[in-house]
Amino acid sequence: MNKNDYIYLDHAATTPMRQVAFEAYKKTEMDAYANSSGGHALSRKAKNILEESREFIASCFGAAPNEITFTSGGTEADNWIIKTPFIDKDSSAELTTTQIEHEAVLASAENVNSKGFNVNFVSCDGEGVTNIDEFKKSINPNTLVASVMYANNETGVVQPIQEMSKIVKDINPNALFHSDVVQAVATKKLNFHNLGIESAAISGHKIGGPKGIGVMFLKTGYKIPSFLHGGKQELERRAGTVNVSGVAGLAAALKEQQNNLEKDVELIENEKTIFENYLKENIELRVVGENVERLCHISNIQFKDINSETLMVALDLNGMGVSRGSACASGAQKPSHVLEAMKVDEQVINNHLRFSFGWNTQKGDGEKCAEIVEKTIKELS
Amino acid sequence: MRILVAMSGGVDSSVVAGLLKSQGHEVIGVTMKLWEGPNGEMPETGCCTSADSEDARKVAAKLDIPYYVLDYTASFSENVIDNFVDMYAQGLTPNPCVECNRSVKFDHFIDQAKKLNCEKVATGHYAKIVMNNNMYELHKADYLDKDQSYVLHMLDSQKLENIEFPLGTISKPEVRQIAASLGLKTAFKKDSQDICFVGKKDYRNFVSKRIDVSSKGLIVDKNENEMGTHGGIHAYTIGQRKGVPGGQGEAKYVTKIDVENNKIYIGSKDELTTKKFILDEVTFVNEVEHENLSIQTRYNSEDVPCAIEKIDESTYQIVLKTPTMGVAPGQFGVIYNGTKLVGGGRITSKVLEDVYE
Repeated sequence: MNKNDYIYLDHAATTPMRQVAFEAYKKTEMDAYANSSGGHALSRKAKNILEESREFIASCFGAAPNEITFTSGGTEADNWIIKTPFIDKDSSAELTTTQIEHEAVLASAENVNSKGFNVNFVSCDGEGVTNIDEFKKSINPNTLVASVMYANNETGVVQPIQEMSKIVKDINPNALFHSDVVQAVATKKLNFHNLGIESAAISGHKIGGPKGIGVMFLKTGYKIPSFLHGGKQELERRAGTVNVSGVAGLAAALKEQQNNLEKDVELIENEKTIFENYLKENIELRVVGENVERLCHISNIQFKDINSETLMVALDLNGMGVSRGSACASGAQKPSHVLEAMKVDEQVINNHLRFSFGWNTQKGDGEKCAEIVEKTIKELS
Repeated sequence: MRILVAMSGGVDSSVVAGLLKSQGHEVIGVTMKLWEGPNGEMPETGCCTSADSEDARKVAAKLDIPYYVLDYTASFSENVIDNFVDMYAQGLTPNPCVECNRSVKFDHFIDQAKKLNCEKVATGHYAKIVMNNNMYELHKADYLDKDQSYVLHMLDSQKLENIEFPLGTISKPEVRQIAASLGLKTAFKKDSQDICFVGKKDYRNFVSKRIDVSSKGLIVDKNENEMGTHGGIHAYTIGQRKGVPGGQGEAKYVTKIDVENNKIYIGSKDELTTKKFILDEVTFVNEVEHENLSIQTRYNSEDVPCAIEKIDESTYQIVLKTPTMGVAPGQFGVIYNGTKLVGGGRITSKVLEDVYE
């Protein structure tokens, strides 16, 4: 098999870098490599790229530039927002999150819990939507942070963010409503203020930007302690030389993405539908979250009697890369905590695969990919 | 041909993957993830630590072959861990490596290979598969120091047809040389001798965390004279000297474990000697044989000439030509004709009754 023919359906894990992002990254490294905090001409050049990028990135999410801090990625932003507000609080402070969050949020929440704070992990229904009543009950005057992902990275299922934000603010106006929007921004246009999102985590590489760059959005008026200590970069919020080339790459990726979003979403939605319909006609399966709002690029499929571990290997050998959920260190993948929270039957919990499309998906990919999956399954049996 | 290679991250299986690839085969590497602790923690040593699968991944990347970690934890937990704990609770000495090969590894692995259109599976075991009169035979490795045929005795001719053991004719030093010449980082990695899920820790703690074994009882000699007390039979195996009360300057050994009465019997070295015992769960590679037989009663122990007598389809009595020490119920007895492996089965506790006849 020619490696160029490899079909990549794992955009939810990471996306290929857009050419414009790569060029912007390279140009910045070549022409404006100086430390953006320095006091000379080249530093000013870097600083200018940094601040122009910040303005543009902020505008994409309806945010103000000073609400944007650059991080190493989504994981750092989630860790920062969830863990640091608890540092100087007494043990009455509480955290509310959901059982279906990304590991970056879940593990941060567990860390907060291990420090003696009460953490509510709200359950979800069978379609993967957070139980609103339970969520509401968990919010109280002690709630310091409530964190709910905009859309799930394994199923693509969208959460009722606006409604949940309102619930939090009605009960406790001082609580911070955080949302991990890492997966959602790949195919959704989001206005943080309109949605009631007060802090957010964004990752560059999910939208065709470079890896190693992310955004921590925090609404004006809120202050949280620093997570990384050192120099006084980023308005003294985050120490460390700023990854200006990463920022430039992210801004370029975002620009191309926003310019094409409507068109891309229509194409991806269309190809995904063709993909799912083709498979439904030919193989016994169930599409997760089919009856609720989903991100257009994620298709989580439960096969009737096919172990997805073997199927994933067979697909790889046939030239298609997909995944079962989040990758873990050893490579072996345990049943997904998201599917467990959805109470997926034990008999079929290992029969799920996630197919995720992305910005470089082409017309015709849906059918082509479905044919490969069908052929591979036939070879397995 | 397309071959699925079990890669533990050690030097042996790394070399197998490298050799087969250099012979022009389409090699697919797989690490079987066998065990993890209750909170998802990996063992510290042995063949399924994250460091080891990371080594296997690096070797696969270096060889430019597809590589996967596949989850065997459910089957391993049910067939090996539970059995390991149960056996100690019954006063038996388990052999988890044999149990893993016979209940977890090969069946599942061959099945998976077939699904992935692989013609064969290969592992880094030191043993030889020989074709004789259209039948597949299992033989000891040429390099006897490392011979692992004992732990593979349950593989019958039909299974062997699907398997390659490329190290059967190679010595360990040669394996290290090949690894070095292929530029594999695992070339000088230390061999692991630990039980993969116990590591360097004491197996007794592993057992006592899982079942209640703390029931105190008596240590007696063969005439039922009280010699001391014990804190649970799981801490004893046949032939054990450590933790056994001595007597008049003579070293004493565990000779029998009586689960029903929660008693440990001890005696002199002579009392450990066995002449006859019974194997159950017996399987044969091909047909049963009766001439020129010898038996190993522990992994890599000496071959003792023997005769076998059938009791029923899967139960055989073994009569040793020379009385032997330390035959432990729970371990396996593996029967050879010269270098050819004939079959094997589990040593039952009936072995010990002979001592007291």
